[in-house]
Amino acid sequence: MPFFKSPSAAALGWGSGAAGFVILLLLPLSFLLYRMIQPAGENWAHIQEYLLLGYTIDTLTLAVIVGILSIALGTTLAWLVSAYSFPFRNTLKWALLMPLAIPPYIGGYAYHGMVNYTGFVQRTLRNTFDIEVSQRYFDIMNIPGAVFIFTIFLYPYVYAITRAFFARQATTLIENARVLGSGPVRTFFRIVLPVSRAAIVGGVTLVMLEVLNDYGLVSYFGVQTFSTAIFQTWYALDDLDSAIRLAGILMGLVLVFLVLEKVFRGRRQYSYSSAKVSPLKPRELEGWKKWSTLGFCGTVLLLGFILPMVQLLYWGMLTYEAVFSAQFVSLVRNSTLASGISSLLVVVFAVIVANFTRIVPGWLSTITARFTVLGYSIPGAVIAVGVLSFFIYIEQRLQFFYAFSGISSGLVLSTSLVMLIFAYVIRFMAVGYNSIESGFEKVGRRYSEASRTLGMGWLQTFFKVDLPMIRAAVFSGFILVFVDILKELPLTLILRPFNFETLATTAYRYASDERIQETAVPSLAIILVSGAAMYIFHIFIEKEPN
Amino acid sequence: MHVQISGLEFSYRKASGTVIQNFNLHMKEGEIVSILGESGSGKSTVLRLIAGLENPSKGKIQVGSDTYVNGQNSRMLPVEKRGLGMVFQDYALFPHMTVGANILYGLKKWKGPKRKARLQEMLTLVNMTEYKKRYPHELSGGQQQRVALARALAPEPALLLLDEPFSNLDAHLKQQIRDELREMIKYAGATTIFVTHDREDARVLSDRVIFLDKGKVQKAGRSGDLLQESLYASERERELTLLMD
Ligand SMILES: Nc1ncnc2c1ncn2[C@@H]1O[C@H](COP(=O)(O)OP(=O)(O)O)[C@@H](O)[C@H]1O
Ligand SMILES: [Mg+2]
Repeated sequence: MPFFKSPSAAALGWGSGAAGFVILLLLPLSFLLYRMIQPAGENWAHIQEYLLLGYTIDTLTLAVIVGILSIALGTTLAWLVSAYSFPFRNTLKWALLMPLAIPPYIGGYAYHGMVNYTGFVQRTLRNTFDIEVSQRYFDIMNIPGAVFIFTIFLYPYVYAITRAFFARQATTLIENARVLGSGPVRTFFRIVLPVSRAAIVGGVTLVMLEVLNDYGLVSYFGVQTFSTAIFQTWYALDDLDSAIRLAGILMGLVLVFLVLEKVFRGRRQYSYSSAKVSPLKPRELEGWKKWSTLGFCGTVLLLGFILPMVQLLYWGMLTYEAVFSAQFVSLVRNSTLASGISSLLVVVFAVIVANFTRIVPGWLSTITARFTVLGYSIPGAVIAVGVLSFFIYIEQRLQFFYAFSGISSGLVLSTSLVMLIFAYVIRFMAVGYNSIESGFEKVGRRYSEASRTLGMGWLQTFFKVDLPMIRAAVFSGFILVFVDILKELPLTLILRPFNFETLATTAYRYASDERIQETAVPSLAIILVSGAAMYIFHIFIEKEPN
Repeated sequence: MHVQISGLEFSYRKASGTVIQNFNLHMKEGEIVSILGESGSGKSTVLRLIAGLENPSKGKIQVGSDTYVNGQNSRMLPVEKRGLGMVFQDYALFPHMTVGANILYGLKKWKGPKRKARLQEMLTLVNMTEYKKRYPHELSGGQQQRVALARALAPEPALLLLDEPFSNLDAHLKQQIRDELREMIKYAGATTIFVTHDREDARVLSDRVIFLDKGKVQKAGRSGDLLQESLYASERERELTLLMD
C-alpha cells in the first residue's frame, strides 16, 4: 500500500483534503444513524401501526412501475434511433433527451393544468366537440398519474445511457446477429437487451433514485411516499425523531435498490475495449414502418416536451407582467447565488478527492471515491433531515460559546444559507466528481510526472499543469451541478433560511396555492437554463472523437 | 555526474511479484548507458525508480554527492529536488503551453536574461528556433521529441533519462534522429541512461549496454563487444538467419 509506505508530500496534501471532506460528508449521515437508535418520539407508534405500510407500498409501487415503464420506453426509443433511419431521426436523437430539462414537479403542474376541468383538453372537447366527460377519466392527481409524469420526464436517463452503449459497444454483435439471419425483433430481444443489461440497469437505477428523491410532484398529486411523510412529520407534527426514523427506512429501501442494481448489472462481461468500434449502420425504413416509427417518437416528444412547454409558455404570456417584478429579480439572484456557491464548492472538493484517488491508487482511494459519490443515491428528504438535526445538535452545544462571545443569543448556522449549501454539496458531489474524475482519467499522470522531474513541487504542478488540462471537465462539472441545484426542491424547502425563495420554491409555492398559471415564469426560467446546458453538452459529446 | 546504484529492488504490488531485482549500475560522468530489454522487462520501472516516481523497497541510488534513496526506511529525496531530466516515452509535452513555455518550464529558478539565453541555446541545439511559438499538437513526432529533449536538458540536469525515445517515430525518421540525438547529448555533456528494446538503437547511441530480463541484469559490457556476441536473441534465431544467408 503506497499510502503507508512513506507517503509523499503530494499524497499527504491531497489525502488530508480528501479525508477532511469525507468526514464532513459522513458526519450528518452517521448522526442520522445515531439518532435512530435513540428512543422513539410520541408519534412513532402511531405512524408505525397505521401509516408505515401505506408509505412503503405507495413508494415501492411508484418506483418499480416507473422503472419498468422507463426501461420499455427508453430502450425502445434508443433502439429505434440507433438501428433505423427515418425522417427527422437526427433531430429526434437529441430532442428525445429534452424531457429531462423539465423537472417532474413542473411537468406535473403543466399536465394538471392541461387536463383539469378548465384546462385546454376538456375545454376543447366541450366547446368544439360538445363532449362533456366524466372527471374520473381526467383526474391525474393519483398514483397512475404520477407514474405517467415520472415516466415521460425521466425515461431519458435510460434512453441516453442505452443509446450511448448501442453506439459504442454493441455494433459488432448486432451486425453479427444480422448476418446470421436474425430479424429485427429477435435481434432486439435476444441480443440487444441482454448485451446492454448493465447500461439499462444503470439508467433505470437513476430513474428510480429520482422517484425516491422527489417531493414536489408527489406532494402536489397527494401521493403518500416516504418523502411526503418525512415532510409531514417534521412540519405538521413537529416530530423530528419520527422524521429521522422514516428517513432511515427510506435509506434502507435505497440500499436495497443499490444492491439489486449490483446483482442485475452482473459482471461487465460484454465490454469491448478494442479501439476501433464503428457506430451501428442504421437501416432505412420504408412505407408505414417509417411513418409509424416517426409517429411514435414524435408522440413521446410531444408528451414529454412540446405540450408541457406550450402550456407553460401560454401561462407565461398570461402572467409575466404580474410575476416579473423586483421580487423576481431577487428570486433569480437567490437561485444563482445558492447554486453558484454550492457548485463552486463541489468542484473544489471534487478536484481534491479525484486528485487524491489518482495519485494514491489502492483500497483507501476506492473507499474515498465511494463515499464521495454516496450522496447522489440518498433522497433529498433524508439528507435534509440528517443535516438539519446535525446542525441543531451542534448549535445547542455552541450556545455557551455564542453567549460568551456575544455573537448571538440564538441559532446562527441553522438559520443561514450555510446549512442549505452544505446539504447541496453532499447531495450533488457525485455529479461534479464523475465529470472531473473522467477528466483526470483522460489526462493521466504522465504530465504531472514530467512537471515534477522538471523541478516543480506537487502544488505548483497542480496549478500549472493539472488544473489547466482538466479545465473543460471542471467547467462541465460546474454546469451540471448548477443545473441540478437550480431544479432541486426537497432540500431547498426544508433547509432554506426563513423567507429565502428560489425559482424552484416559488414555482412550488404558486402550485400549492392553486395559482397554477403563475408557476410558468419561474418554471420556464429553470427549464431554459437546463435545456441550454443539455444542448451544449450534446454538441460537446457528439463532436468529441471518442 | 557520477552515478551509483546498488541492490535496487521493487514491486508494484506485493502480490504481483518483484519487478526489479538486485539492480546495480555504476556510471562515469558524461557516459551514455543503455538498458536493453524486451517489453515488460522492467526498463521503464528502473527509470521511474531513479527519477523518484516510484519508491524502491531496497537499495541505494546516489548521483554526484546527492543520495536519492538509501534503503527502505530512509526519507527519499522528492522528485522535484533531484534535478534530473527525463524524456518520456510519449514525450508528455504540456499541450496547453507553447514550445518555448515548455522549455522554460524547468527554468523557474533562473534569472531573466540567463533564462532567455538558455531557451535560445536549447532551441538552437535541437534546431527548433522557428517553432518557439507553436503548440505541441502543431509539431511532427520527430519535432516533439526534440522539444522534449530540449525541455529535459534545459535545467542542466545531473542525469538524463530517456525512455524509448524512438518508439513513436517512423522507421525512416528514426535512423537520422538517432545520430543527431547522440550528438546533442554528447554536446550537452549529460550523463545519460537510455532505455530501449532495439539493439541497433543501443549500439548507435550508447557507450555501454546492460541487458535486463524479468527485472534482472543479465549481461553488461561495452556496447560493441556485447552486441557482437549476442546479436541474435536466441540460438534458434541465429540458425534461421544463417540458413537464409
Ligand atoms: N503501474 C503499474 N502497476 C502494476 N504493474 C506495473 C505498473 N507498471 C508496470 N507494471 C508491470 O511491471 C513490469 C515492468 O514494466 P515496465 O517497467 O513498464 O517494462 P518495460 O518498460 O520494460 O516495458 C511489467 O510486468 C508491467 O506489467
Ligand atoms: Mg517501458
